[in-house]
Amino acid sequence: MTKKRELMFSIVRGLLAILIALLVATLLIFISANGDNFSEKLASTGDALKQMLVGPLFRMGKNGTRFETKRLTDILASMIPIIFTGLSVCIMFSANQFNLGAEGGIMLGAFVTGMAAIYLPMAAGLHPIVAILLGGFAVGVMMLLPALLKSKLDVSEMVCSLMLNYIVMYLIKFVLNTYLADKSKGQIQSYEFLETSRIAQLVDDGSKLSVGFLIAIAAVILCGLFMYRTRWGYAIRMIGINQAFSKYSGMKVGTIIVVSQLLGGFLAGVGGGIEMLGRYKTFSWSSLPGYGWTGITIAILAGNNPWFVPPAAFFMAYLSKGCNLMATYAKVPAQLIDIIQGVIFLFFAAEQFLSKYRQKLVVKSAEEEIARKKAMDEAKEGGHANA
Amino acid sequence: MLNFLKMMLTPEFFFSILRISAPILFATLGAIVVEKAGFCNIGLEGIMMFAALTGSLVSYYAGSWFWGLLAAIAMGTLMGLMMGFFAFQLKTDITLVGIAVNMMGSGGTLFLCKVITNLTEGKAMASSTGLITSALCVPNITIPLLNKIPFLGGVLSGHSLLTYLAFIICGLTSVMLYKTSLGMNIRAVGENPNAAASVGVSVLKIKYTAIAYSGLMAGFGGAFMSMSYAQGWSLDMVAGRGFIALAAQAMGSGECLGGMLSSLVFGFAQALGIKFSARGLDSNLASPIPYAVTIIGLVVFALVRRSRIKKQHAASQL
Amino acid sequence: MPDEKTGRLDEELVVQMKGITKVYPNGVAANQGVDFTLRKGEIHALMGENGAGKSTLMKMLFGLEQPTSGEIWVNGEKLNLTAPSVAISHGIGMVHQHFMLVPSLTVAENMVLGMAPRKGLFLDHQKAVEITKEYAERFNLHVEPEAKVVDIPVGMKQKVEILKALVRGAKILILDEPTAVLTTQETTELFKELIHLKNQGYTIVFISHKLNEIMEITDRLTIMRNGRSMGVYNTCDVTKEDISRLMVGRDVILNVQKDEARPTDTVLRVRDVEYVNEWHKKVLDKVSFDVRKGEILGIAGVEGNGQKELVDMLFGFNTPNAGTITVEGENILGLTQSKIRGLGVSLVPEDRMLFGIAGTASIEENILSDRCADKRFNKGPLFNMKAIHEESDRLIQEYTVLCKSRKQQVGMLSGGNIQKVVVAREFSNDPVLILADQPTRGIDVGATEFIRKKLVELSRSGIAVLLVSADLNEVMELSDSLIVMQGGHIAAYFEDTKELTDDQMGEYMLGLKQQPAEQIRRVCHD
Repeated sequence: MTKKRELMFSIVRGLLAILIALLVATLLIFISANGDNFSEKLASTGDALKQMLVGPLFRMGKNGTRFETKRLTDILASMIPIIFTGLSVCIMFSANQFNLGAEGGIMLGAFVTGMAAIYLPMAAGLHPIVAILLGGFAVGVMMLLPALLKSKLDVSEMVCSLMLNYIVMYLIKFVLNTYLADKSKGQIQSYEFLETSRIAQLVDDGSKLSVGFLIAIAAVILCGLFMYRTRWGYAIRMIGINQAFSKYSGMKVGTIIVVSQLLGGFLAGVGGGIEMLGRYKTFSWSSLPGYGWTGITIAILAGNNPWFVPPAAFFMAYLSKGCNLMATYAKVPAQLIDIIQGVIFLFFAAEQFLSKYRQKLVVKSAEEEIARKKAMDEAKEGGHANA
Repeated sequence: MLNFLKMMLTPEFFFSILRISAPILFATLGAIVVEKAGFCNIGLEGIMMFAALTGSLVSYYAGSWFWGLLAAIAMGTLMGLMMGFFAFQLKTDITLVGIAVNMMGSGGTLFLCKVITNLTEGKAMASSTGLITSALCVPNITIPLLNKIPFLGGVLSGHSLLTYLAFIICGLTSVMLYKTSLGMNIRAVGENPNAAASVGVSVLKIKYTAIAYSGLMAGFGGAFMSMSYAQGWSLDMVAGRGFIALAAQAMGSGECLGGMLSSLVFGFAQALGIKFSARGLDSNLASPIPYAVTIIGLVVFALVRRSRIKKQHAASQL
Repeated sequence: MPDEKTGRLDEELVVQMKGITKVYPNGVAANQGVDFTLRKGEIHALMGENGAGKSTLMKMLFGLEQPTSGEIWVNGEKLNLTAPSVAISHGIGMVHQHFMLVPSLTVAENMVLGMAPRKGLFLDHQKAVEITKEYAERFNLHVEPEAKVVDIPVGMKQKVEILKALVRGAKILILDEPTAVLTTQETTELFKELIHLKNQGYTIVFISHKLNEIMEITDRLTIMRNGRSMGVYNTCDVTKEDISRLMVGRDVILNVQKDEARPTDTVLRVRDVEYVNEWHKKVLDKVSFDVRKGEILGIAGVEGNGQKELVDMLFGFNTPNAGTITVEGENILGLTQSKIRGLGVSLVPEDRMLFGIAGTASIEENILSDRCADKRFNKGPLFNMKAIHEESDRLIQEYTVLCKSRKQQVGMLSGGNIQKVVVAREFSNDPVLILADQPTRGIDVGATEFIRKKLVELSRSGIAVLLVSADLNEVMELSDSLIVMQGGHIAAYFEDTKELTDDQMGEYMLGLKQQPAEQIRRVCHD
């Protein structure tokens, strides 16, 4: 199959998956829409859909629909943590390791960074960097557990990392509540981060679009280079495709499997740290933030390729913003996004989805190839005859 | 210490172990059957969430726990079949199907709860606990005579119908796997699908049956959570029990009896945690105990398995 | 109508396969116009080398494959055998080389799988055991109905397989290399049982390469070579030598130009290697040989005589129970593949799809796999993409890999081109020793010739080559000297392959002859 056709197939397939998800969403919105009769419900469904699909970038008011920069910066800001978890999952899944610890990882990274931002005073330029790196390393160490258990004892990294998520969450809550909470506040939260640790904002419109966004993009580039332009990333991908082949080729399979998960953990931790210092003044998360799961969807949408993480993250952030707007303006619960996400996920990952269409394209390509060869041969023969 | 032991050795404590183990046992049975058929269903957690919601809402609207329970297990079975469709028909990696189901389970249940209660009650509720009375929960059963026996009566009598069902179904599942032709086919498909296919067993049909069965079990587990363990559904109430079940399956060597014992170990860990927190231990330290026990259990199991393989290997060298 | 050769009547023929041709989608013609008949109540040997088309022919009779053209008649009825269940319903049963049994089920349960007797909701275990016992007694095939299959010896597993076919009403039994996994005693026992079955009117097809066995129990035999039938014979009318000649022979002689070998120093030294596999069978027994720079040493032999285990051992995938292996004086036992490659060993693996390539990766990425840490291809932490592109383009050109570009998925290429990618990688990393395991199996003639020429060229440039091949053509044409492996040990060593004939080879390959130890010892150039 030609490259162009392969690409076209991927696009059609992706769009169709999204379309199916939106159809499911529409149906659910319709059920939950306000209205006494069918046409009223239909109208409010239309409004809700409009909020979801157009709202993330455009304000709809009496003066018509207008583009709003703030909404764009909101979306970009909310891409920051999920770009990191997306990259984290990309790397771990590339090595065929179903480590689902990015969820706990981002919380641990956020916590460690936050504490470093409070208790480790440092110069302004250095402080956030050290704090964030500490967050990253902490999660790297956390991932050692599922990674080593998998490579040494063949314990399922998936179950282990899921359990670890819960353990990490409770322990953070325990440490925060017992030792580190600012008791003068009504809710459980830490003391304020030191001024020196703040990450500068890129725009001053309250959207929390910080320098962290640029770091996230830099991380995408680094991960892209790492996965496709270095021997280690290459080894990770080959192990994911065919472990027996990689071993036979002389790669250190066990080590690389562990390293992939350490890196994944590091990225999740850094993401948590940046989110903490770029968006908040205190640490007050009391449950897992869900960025890890979104990261998995992003990795699936991006086909585990870091270069496609930003568009996938944009899509998810857009959708999430849309669902939130819909909840505000159309009273459709924002959790609709989880269902949409799940449906897109299912169809994206379905190998046989549209396989008949693909088969047709393959056959078409093969036929064209044969026809072209024939034409070439005939041309050659013709040439001979003329000579 | 001695004092604490004394406090532990009460009928109430053992009673709570059984109660806490029941939903894990249900899910573990689901995990065991699919494992026997040769694959792993990590979507149990998500199915339990949906079933828990379905059970509590239907029992509220139908005004009867019976219909709620029925709806919950029907929901579970249906979701199992849907997972099968994606995994077997559309060839999605079964692990990814499971992840998707779990992903939908958490927010999706909240969405549905809000939508449905908004439609009917006029306000979008974030849990169904306000709707459910104890009459809408699966009833507890006092076993005559047994309840008269000191200590033992306190441990074994007065449980929810579902707790008894969990242990009964555990036995039935074992019988199904080992004494019926369906069970034989399931095991054959899991171990050597070519052998099964060569004698005319439909591998696809058996796989669907197995995943539907695991959905059914997760349905029971979910119903237990919202209709017995707690009064009504609330967000994230399943709290990883579907995942713990996967570990219990592995630790129980994939057998019903072993799975039951592993479930009891987790029940014990959690009951202990509750006991600890009642004695003043921070609940944030008590709550992760079952999860930590799961990891430790998996490690111990892996070590035992490894030494067994080593022994076999040593024997084969002779 | 009387049969041409024997004058018997057609009615006795329970199976007639007429003009069977089978062409696989990849273009391989496994059977070409094969005729095959079975008489009621005979034991009929189907013989031929690996890849001669025996299994394909039997798979069609059992409904696992469908012929491209030709007819299959069973008991005078023309059949369209679309699935094994159809074949079973017409009384055909097959015992596969790899047992189709479920290890954790009992013998009785395996017997009734898919047709289980019930008592209400439950499996009627008692009935299953009774059925098993009844059949076991009737056919004198002793099995333990209540034992789990995982616990019973291989010989009993085979009996279970035979009983499984019988209980499903088979009157014609196809046994695919039944003795390959059996000990001598088990084989003797099996033969008694087969004769017992024959006496009760059952017809048996016996696929084997072992001449002694064939002579012992079969009535007639069909010999296949390169997808064609070489004729049907009454066993009593032919000698072992006749069979060997018919079976082992070369149809096409590809002429690979090759200068006189000038071997120098020893590179690979294998001494007294023994290996016991996980089923406690000794698959390598005191194997010793040397491979020197500048020569191709061939290992010929029917597959399954220890070659696979030997190659695995040479590349660090398993360790011998006894013996030593060195490469240029360095002990390689216990080393990882990475270390072994570091010593300059390359392997063209037998299973190219499993070990040779990462299917969904590009050609370039597949070429890079063993040299990704090489200085040439790295600039600091990053890959030197230019050097990598140059290397892959150069190799694609040098090895004439037919593809659109270096970015094409390797799994999308034809078998021959996939193998070219594998050899391009394995031959181009300055090896001192190349292990080529079945390097041209199942690939087109063009690629085959190319790879063979390349192997000769490399050996003449001073590389040591160990060629393992079940393809007699290949091993005899390419090798400067060769050893024959049979039953896990070296049966013969031929210092010079030029004077060697197929007949000689056949006698050693099939275990009719064994050279004296001194002769074989000469392959060790101490």
